[in-house]
Amino acid sequence: MRASKILSVLVDNKPGTLFRVTHLVRLMRLNIEGLTLGVTNGGDTCRMTFTLNGDDRTVEHVARQLMKVIDVIEAHTYGPQEVTARELALVSLKKFDPIQFGEEERQRLNVIDRSTAGVVVQIVGTAGEIDEFVRRAGESNVIDIARTGVAALPKEKQNA
Amino acid sequence: MSGAQALIEALKREKVEYIFGMPGGANLPFYDALWDSNIKHILTRHEQIAAHMADAYGRVSRRAGVCSATSGPGATNLVTGIATAFADSSPVVAITGQVPRGMTGRNAFQETDVVGVLTPVTKYTLQPLSAADVPSAIRKAFHIATTGRPGPVLVDVPKDVQQETAEVTFPESVEIRGYRSKAPLDPQDVERAADLLVRAKRPLLFGGGGIRISDASQPFRAIAELLMTPVVTTLQGKGTFPEDHPLSLGPIGMHGRAEANKLVSECDALLAVGVRFSDRSTGTFSEFCKDAMIIHIDADPTEFNKNKAVNLHILGDANEVLVSLYSAITRRISKKGEDNPWLKRVNEVREEMKSIPAYRDSYADLSGPRIVKKMREILPPDAILTTGVGRHQMWCEIHYQVLRPRTWITSTGLGTMGFGLPAAVGAKLARPDVPVVDLDGDGSFVMTEQALATAVEQNIPLISVVLNDRSLGMVEQWQRLMYNRHYIGVKFNGSPNFVKLAESYGAEGRTVGSLDEFARVLKDGLSSQTQMVIEVPVSPEEDVFPFMPPGKGIKDTVYGPPKESAIF
Ligand SMILES: Cc1ncc(C[n+]2csc(CCOP(=O)(O)OP(=O)(O)O)c2C)c(N)n1
Repeated sequence: MRASKILSVLVDNKPGTLFRVTHLVRLMRLNIEGLTLGVTNGGDTCRMTFTLNGDDRTVEHVARQLMKVIDVIEAHTYGPQEVTARELALVSLKKFDPIQFGEEERQRLNVIDRSTAGVVVQIVGTAGEIDEFVRRAGESNVIDIARTGVAALPKEKQNA
Repeated sequence: MSGAQALIEALKREKVEYIFGMPGGANLPFYDALWDSNIKHILTRHEQIAAHMADAYGRVSRRAGVCSATSGPGATNLVTGIATAFADSSPVVAITGQVPRGMTGRNAFQETDVVGVLTPVTKYTLQPLSAADVPSAIRKAFHIATTGRPGPVLVDVPKDVQQETAEVTFPESVEIRGYRSKAPLDPQDVERAADLLVRAKRPLLFGGGGIRISDASQPFRAIAELLMTPVVTTLQGKGTFPEDHPLSLGPIGMHGRAEANKLVSECDALLAVGVRFSDRSTGTFSEFCKDAMIIHIDADPTEFNKNKAVNLHILGDANEVLVSLYSAITRRISKKGEDNPWLKRVNEVREEMKSIPAYRDSYADLSGPRIVKKMREILPPDAILTTGVGRHQMWCEIHYQVLRPRTWITSTGLGTMGFGLPAAVGAKLARPDVPVVDLDGDGSFVMTEQALATAVEQNIPLISVVLNDRSLGMVEQWQRLMYNRHYIGVKFNGSPNFVKLAESYGAEGRTVGSLDEFARVLKDGLSSQTQMVIEVPVSPEEDVFPFMPPGKGIKDTVYGPPKESAIF
């Protein structure tokens, strides 16, 4: 398991905002392990989801200070348990044998390209599930991997 | 109209009186548009100086100061000045020229990504990419620079945007989502604060630059007098409470007043207004006011619990919050009397501190502390004092009583040497009716001395008092006290003759040999309405005390000179 925190930032959809946000992340010397970014709200805003490796206090400091950045509308941090999170990965393998994987895991997999060089498998899951898939597929069998980084939304608060 | 004309028209609508700056290739269309406008251009000899002038103008006038520079080196020369304004929350709008849009990213002549360079030290950056976008960019820049917690804003305008013509309209107001300049005040918070303060046995008020920014000195003082509470300030907040008031203890901090540093650790409730708990004020955060209930009032929500965890924070404009806090307190108590143990303790500490050498008048006739005290005697209460950075500034912190808000203009957050003289020019233009004096160190003064050329050229009366110790005195003090007297890189062996230097700029230059002579020359300078540099030769060996050693807590303040050489 990674000791990572999710930083979710809603910004105005315009050039330069990622620069303003990552400036603070860099200032606090946090490593960005994942970053997804997409336009929301009919094109008005953009949601950035960072997976950051760092201690809670530092990540929370960034989230709080981000509220000073004028193009930032919201900034929140979450622990891995507080969000519903998924990531997509394309994994290019020399050989792919679906039998190797269990029924449940197979449902997350999709072969999207086959060539003489190998097979490209798409997997959607949590960051841990993707790590596990790569491990099972065998390090020496893997030609290349492209991961999107985690997209996350906070879990609905349970009504008491 | 052209983008450049739109720029000038938009500035006129913001009621801009002065633009401090220098022209160059990329902002020539803008300068050309100044030709038939009534905005006065103040030509500086360096863009850093222009930024400091705009900054001081902003601090004194409550309006944004405007500075301008060409692209590339002009823009990068602004950086120190803009960072200084940012660190002290000063309203500045910086307008830079940029290479034409089509040349972007081609390493064009004088192309610097100034938006990239300045983003970390500005409140916001804007880059209008068509002439039609210029008016709203300027409106936004002024709105953001002057509201909420003020700060510098950059408007970077490509040259071809200045040149192209378009139909332009000038918006009265602008919508900026994500920018909240004002928050609604929670009345319950105010009630809770009133309860805490009324119940406290040893309350203390702690005022910062936010009080000046929101013009909250009056309700701040009213609360102090109602509760009979002693008052300390930050260095930026110095003078937001009159320092000759019986309840004033002066600034706390690395070189705070002894009684202020001592008593801040003894309070049981601290009302902190418009402060950011900077390490230079508080020392070790966790040790600061460890046993007190802390109430923090600020306009910037990102300041709460940033450095110091507090018991109650109230978001809002200081003036508004303090006015309602005052009435909340009056609903609970009427004016407290002078006869209470806390005020007795305050007086006891005051007496105790009088026996400390920093306060005994054992200084040489010509020494920093005596000079600044003499200046206070001579200058009228509304005179503005600006400073450089170093021991001279700290002697003012300790010994120069600031009596009115916005009459003490100094770089605290960044501690920028070279701020003093340009700041005096900016301050004088903002308040032509009061005398403006810069108290400088020789090291700080020579960093931006060419501001004298501007002062002479524009006929702006000011006095610069230069304490000449032929040394980077403050650093020398650290080397003396903490680095075994290893004086590396602090002694000047090639100082200018300050009298001739002043005269060569067309200013008056004087040097003085005694405190009495200093007093006479200063009075001369005040009545002559010229630009005068007064050199005061002083010893480099005179250290500033009290001194809270770096990395220590405010309780570790060393109140007077130590016996041994290296002590820390
Ligand atoms: C631009 C800048 N460079 C370096 C410093 C570090 N520094 C702080 S005080 C000081 C010495 C200031 O000397 P001077 O202006 O002569 O004042 P004094 O301490 O002698 O009164 C220096 C070098 C600084 N604050 N600002």
